[in-house]
Amino acid sequence: MEKQKNYEAYLKNTHRLGRAVSVLTLVMLLGAPFLIGRLLGTAPDLGAAARGFLSVGLVWTVSSIVEYLVYTPMLGAGGSYLAFITGNLINMKIPCAMNARELVDAKTGTAENEVISTLSIATSSLVTILVLAVGVLLMIPLRPVLESPTLQPAFANVVPALFGAMAYKYFRKDIRLAVVPLCCMSLLFMFVPALTSSTSFMIIPSGALAIGLSYLRWRKSRKGADQA
Amino acid sequence: MSVLDQLNGSGIYLICGGIVLFIAIVCVVFLVRAWKAGKALGMDTVRMKRAITSSATFSLLPSVGILLGVLALSGSLGIPWPWLRLSVIGALHYETQVADAAAEQLGIRLGQDPMTTQAFATIALLMSACIMWGMILTTLFNKKYLKKLQGKDPAAKKIGGFGDLAMVAMFIGMVSAYLGSYIGGFVSGNGRFTFSGSWTPLLVAAVSALAMAGFTWLSEKKHWDWLDNFSIAGSMLLGMTAAVLVGH
Repeated sequence: MEKQKNYEAYLKNTHRLGRAVSVLTLVMLLGAPFLIGRLLGTAPDLGAAARGFLSVGLVWTVSSIVEYLVYTPMLGAGGSYLAFITGNLINMKIPCAMNARELVDAKTGTAENEVISTLSIATSSLVTILVLAVGVLLMIPLRPVLESPTLQPAFANVVPALFGAMAYKYFRKDIRLAVVPLCCMSLLFMFVPALTSSTSFMIIPSGALAIGLSYLRWRKSRKGADQA
Repeated sequence: MSVLDQLNGSGIYLICGGIVLFIAIVCVVFLVRAWKAGKALGMDTVRMKRAITSSATFSLLPSVGILLGVLALSGSLGIPWPWLRLSVIGALHYETQVADAAAEQLGIRLGQDPMTTQAFATIALLMSACIMWGMILTTLFNKKYLKKLQGKDPAAKKIGGFGDLAMVAMFIGMVSAYLGSYIGGFVSGNGRFTFSGSWTPLLVAAVSALAMAGFTWLSEKKHWDWLDNFSIAGSMLLGMTAAVLVGH
């Protein structure tokens, strides 16, 4: 009885602390660009930021909502506040917490899971912060090399490099689905080359097309399953 | 002083470092509270220590992969901002794409055109704004959502259906738009169907995809699971190396 009472008090305080810390982090992260801008004698172009938000922000909003709904039950209260503050969910925090949970055999929704998830995600975040801090310290002396003209083509092609890797990663999950948006987009950019300067806006029709096709196929397979 | 020098200035290090330090303190507070709560619940401290140790070792390699992401972004955004973004909240694929979209709205190409201080501030703002939803949702709904889940089937089961497929489809759509633009840029970049546009982005994307295929093969067939942690950053670096080799 006493233990349950203590745990409930812990959870209540975790929510209080988690909310306060999340709001503070939000304020700092949104405030930093303005502060840095001031330091550099400028300010963010709010119009351009709003247009950028309408193109890519919407995609990431949907992604964030799905991530929140799916991962929060696995992570519990403390774990989810920390995970959404520290990021790198799919590539690190979720598998890390799942691994720790399996090692100690904690079940979803239990007090034990709440504690283990929080311990795991806090540790994981601290390791990342430490590794990155040490790495950045070592990177400073390398700056002249990083800024050399020979390396500039590399930095000019960061985005194609990212999307090449992502193409393999996602296309292999559903190559049949990928063919239609890829062909449509390629043809569109061939016939209207001026659109290449608005690629991020073209994510919306391309994403909508892929989601629509995926939904139609999913509905068809569900109908088939229901009939069987 | 170049813009990149300014972006690597001590003032920016101080701002970014301060936020990273704050998050590190938050992690320590959550860690200590969870440890104490576990002890109060009568949990075995050996198991709790095991969870901590395994999480630390598990995170070491992916963290080095994330560090390569800082390296990849440092050429256009300086070191401190990518350091902050990838230490807190961000992920490499997200940061690169949002930075590129913001640059596009400002009429510059990330890494190709010279960065301006205003472009940087705008890019930084968009990077912060686009990924804030997870934090907003946890702040507003975590307590109610977790309460609702208690005693019921995990909601993940209900959402699982089309949610996962929609996410994959959305990313396929996003990747298709970018690859389509590289194909279109090559075919019609210097006049419709002249096939004389820049082919470097296509080459870089192809090398990066091939590298990703190699990493995936090694990870899945040879069971080099640790390689997963480096696959995206490693593929990107190989793709970027191809750009250096062709010199465009």
